Amino acid sequence: MPIDDTAYAYAVGRIRALEARLLDQNRFDRMIDASSAEEVLKMLTESEYASSFGELSNIHDFETILSSELRHIFDLLETITPWPELIAIMALRYDVHNLKVLFKARYLDIKSNLLIPVGTCPTGKMVQAVAEDDFRDLPDRLRIAAEKVNEDFLVNHDPQVIDLILDQALFEELISRAEKANVPFLKGLFIRQIDLINLKTLVRVKNMGFGREFFKKAFLPNGNLSFDQLGGSIDEPLESLIVQLGMTEYATLVDEGIRDWLDRGTASRFEKLADDYITAYLKKGKWMPFGPEPLIGYLWAKEVELKNIRLILVGKINKLPAEAIRERIRDAYI
Amino acid sequence: MEIRVNPTRMELNRLKKRLKMAERGHKLLKDKRDELIRQFLILVRKNKELREDIEEELSGAFAKFLLARAVMSQDNLEEALMYPTRKLTLDIDKQNIMSVNAPKFSWHEDSDQDEGNSIYPYGFAETSAELDASIETLSGVLSRLMELAEVEKAVQLLSGEIEKTRRRVNALEYVLIPKLTETIKYIAMKLEENERGALVRLMKIKDVVRAKM
Repeated sequence: MPIDDTAYAYAVGRIRALEARLLDQNRFDRMIDASSAEEVLKMLTESEYASSFGELSNIHDFETILSSELRHIFDLLETITPWPELIAIMALRYDVHNLKVLFKARYLDIKSNLLIPVGTCPTGKMVQAVAEDDFRDLPDRLRIAAEKVNEDFLVNHDPQVIDLILDQALFEELISRAEKANVPFLKGLFIRQIDLINLKTLVRVKNMGFGREFFKKAFLPNGNLSFDQLGGSIDEPLESLIVQLGMTEYATLVDEGIRDWLDRGTASRFEKLADDYITAYLKKGKWMPFGPEPLIGYLWAKEVELKNIRLILVGKINKLPAEAIRERIRDAYI
Repeated sequence: MEIRVNPTRMELNRLKKRLKMAERGHKLLKDKRDELIRQFLILVRKNKELREDIEEELSGAFAKFLLARAVMSQDNLEEALMYPTRKLTLDIDKQNIMSVNAPKFSWHEDSDQDEGNSIYPYGFAETSAELDASIETLSGVLSRLMELAEVEKAVQLLSGEIEKTRRRVNALEYVLIPKLTETIKYIAMKLEENERGALVRLMKIKDVVRAKM
């Protein structure tokens, strides 16, 4: 650990106070049962989100609130964390998102407003970097990946490859940063995320009718489940995968999630269970009195909470049946 | 009412010729209208089938898309779909349906991209699997959507033409032809009247002449 655990005392204290204000399952249930989006909005204005949702004049603009909330959480964590690197690691995902957007915008020759102002690299600088092919300020792996994207796109013109290359670089970078910082809890989180993404990718690639070669291109290394373990399943029925993973920690998730995916043809259950799995993992660190775990957990909890709010609002605006929303709602962290 | 004309024999002949012409035109236009309606019905039926098919598929795809939208942030979703993998080139030609110039579409996917590229323009880590199904349906429905656009435009143009033709047929049938017949009758009557007048005059003169003798 880069710094003494007791340095987290203040941060963890703040997090404890903030955690109490997270929306719980009960409140989500009430929002799902609300009769209209306006009613959901009213419930939100009675919660932690009172000030931000109170200003919302048009319900369809809720995305701006959600993204400013995200920005807000990162700002907050940045001020309380004794170890800024942690927030930098957690924000890397958004850098990669911005990179993807900028590359695509550049190849399309358009301007894009899809940048998320959360990443470690200020968006203005990022715009310049992509425009001038100068990626010196990026972490090494991302720099190499960005150069690779440039090379590949000129030859293949395949936008999917942009995402694939950058996603791979992102997770490699995350793992190596967690290793370097020597925070096993953080590394454990990324490994699980990688495994779950790989499992999902496996089924998706299979459903798309692509083979092993393609799966290899989309596969994220460094997970607990290696390519050799998963790659074979691409040509076999998924039943065998379920059996094969029966001894791993993902057994119940795979059994329930993938079976449901096979039966109903929708990944909703699997995706929910995957997110819940991460939540359950992070909950283990929740009661650490000192250390970065509660911070990581809180950040994830907030991200999941925003996801749930989005799900409910989109669902209510479009009049989805309550059941369709309920089965997708992620477990709350508290 | 009738057309104002000089009641002369020449005018009568002229009008008779016009009437004949109007009747012939009326018959031809009526045939054209019937054929247009026949073609129209065929297209409308095809249009309806296509539209119902496509609407069903699209509403399915949109429902899936909505669910994908609900579990992904707007930025992520738009980033995923920002750069389309497929490019479609559309050529528009003309096809002649009963002298109506309807568009004829032909389209092909551009080949500046490799065969091996998938229809999915995004990576897997940040996207929901629920997006895949809707993209797949949408990509399958595209060519039929083109077909629908073609048929729908043809139907629209045909209906305009039918309306025009019908108006012409009616104008001939209810306005021009009755008018002409009326006028012809009027001239014929006038001429007969003149003839009778001349006859009476002749007889009168004959009487006067005979009385003097």
